[in-house]
Amino acid sequence: MRGYVLRRLFQSVLVVWAVTSIMFLMFRVMPTDPTAMLMDRGMTEAARDKLLEDWGLTGSLWDQYVAYIGNLMRGDFGNSFFHRKPVWEVLGPLIVNTLWVAVPGLLLGAVLGSGLGVLVGWAPRGGKTERIGIFLATIIRGVPGFVIGIALLAVFSSALGWFPAFGMGSVDADQGASRYLTLDFLHHLALPLIAVAIYFLPENLLLMRSGVVENRTEDYVELVRAKGVSQSRVAWHTARNSLLPLITWLFPALAETIAGIVVVEIVFSWPGVGRELVLAVTRQDYPLTQSAFFLLAVMIVLANLAADLIYGKLDPRVVYK
Amino acid sequence: MRLVMKDSFVAMGVAILLFFIVIATFATVLAPYGPYEVMMTEAGRLDRLARPSFEHPLGTTAYGNDVLSQFIHGSRVALIVGLVAAVAVGFVSTVFGVVAGYFGGLVDDVLMRITDVALSIPTLPFAIVAVSLLGPSVQNIILVISILFWRNGARIIRSAVLTERERIYVKWARAAGASHFHVILHHILPNIVRVIFLWITMSVAFAILAEASLSFLGLGDPTVISWGQMLNTAFSSGSLRTAWWWVVPPCIALTLLVSSLYLIGRGFEEQTNPRLRRY
Repeated sequence: MRGYVLRRLFQSVLVVWAVTSIMFLMFRVMPTDPTAMLMDRGMTEAARDKLLEDWGLTGSLWDQYVAYIGNLMRGDFGNSFFHRKPVWEVLGPLIVNTLWVAVPGLLLGAVLGSGLGVLVGWAPRGGKTERIGIFLATIIRGVPGFVIGIALLAVFSSALGWFPAFGMGSVDADQGASRYLTLDFLHHLALPLIAVAIYFLPENLLLMRSGVVENRTEDYVELVRAKGVSQSRVAWHTARNSLLPLITWLFPALAETIAGIVVVEIVFSWPGVGRELVLAVTRQDYPLTQSAFFLLAVMIVLANLAADLIYGKLDPRVVYK
Repeated sequence: MRLVMKDSFVAMGVAILLFFIVIATFATVLAPYGPYEVMMTEAGRLDRLARPSFEHPLGTTAYGNDVLSQFIHGSRVALIVGLVAAVAVGFVSTVFGVVAGYFGGLVDDVLMRITDVALSIPTLPFAIVAVSLLGPSVQNIILVISILFWRNGARIIRSAVLTERERIYVKWARAAGASHFHVILHHILPNIVRVIFLWITMSVAFAILAEASLSFLGLGDPTVISWGQMLNTAFSSGSLRTAWWWVVPPCIALTLLVSSLYLIGRGFEEQTNPRLRRY
């Protein structure tokens, strides 16, 4: 077990290194000059060189690479071109904002989705409930994230006026950590969070339903049933067994949410990492772009690692090699 | 074909897909105006944000373009990106999956480690960065989508190959002196063709979603109109909440098109997984 964990950890580090290197190459090999945005007209040659050196853009590609990896390992991600301050200071608070939408949204979607999935899974095969459930889930699964966002905005913000349309708090809201505990914040959080939940609900429903359908004819279900246990208890037994694929799905899904939440953050003007990434790209602020991307990649690797380890804990059939 | 007849969901999916293919094929005939043609009112002013009327069944945009015409032309980008990217993705995943699964051992290890790295790349952020660096064009969007989605398919196809490889007739074919290439072509591929088709169908949906998201974020090809781009323009011009005639059509079209592919994909899935079949 210990050996397995260590090996998976080592593997994860390798993966992060590989993704980082791909990123580095992408930025340096591209035809566009990343420094164009930094350079003022009429800047002297000396000032230009000084600037390039500050940003670690001098020397051969290999030297730059070594310097880049070295800086990353020391936790130095450089300064944002646009904000003119360390990348971490920009991204740090944004991570929290993104997680505020992603985690509760995903969990809400997972809980509602798997609950409905159990219902649909136990419905008579070929019956109305099953057909309607599967049909709706498949259709909703096809709705792009930003369309969900736009629809929610149109109904609950424009038409009904129940929720604010953008941002994370009113203009006069506190800026400190306490802002996350105000009603105003929750009011702003509601729509983006619901958008994420709706986005993930159908996939959960379908996964859970497949699990239940596969399990409901197993021998252990017959046995439990023969013992005279009520239908809801039987459903609970199959649900627990169908949870396995769901949990392995949940962690990468969290990573994908954090990555895919970009469009939701844009629709609701929610100040998160994804929105900042899009802004950084359009401003050609490449230290910030690189770091935001690196951050998202690390989150995905960690999530996959967690999924593998937890799966082993939950399923005694898994043998670590 | 039998699948289409038997499963009404699949039939519905195919019908919707065909509908959009017809629209895209005859876009130039069906669209009343050019997608970027500027409309004028009789008074000679820019006819902006006009409500649906007889001349403009879906109204006009904030820049005086006919929404219906943009909508019809937009179907082309979605389908071209979807189909081309999906074929590329299907091809790469199949090569990767078959080689890794069939040969196993070191080849499998190396290819699967590459897949692991690819799987750790955050999808949409990578697409955003790559498209902005390469320059927003339909070709680059297709390229980036192909780079992104082969990885999941490679895994799925590999595991399908793993079970096929152990079949007795594969061993016999090898023992009878058939080459690896012959075995793959005649004994492995025909048996995993369903899995490959399922994967290609899903890839069309993923590719359409990815293109729409990129265009919505303002990273679409600026020279051709797409549904994502229509929404982007509506969003950035601040008409998202007022001009419903401009916003609703692309939203519904994207949903229908992607859902139709999922409906078709589900039919395949029920067929390939015997445990989900009805008893």
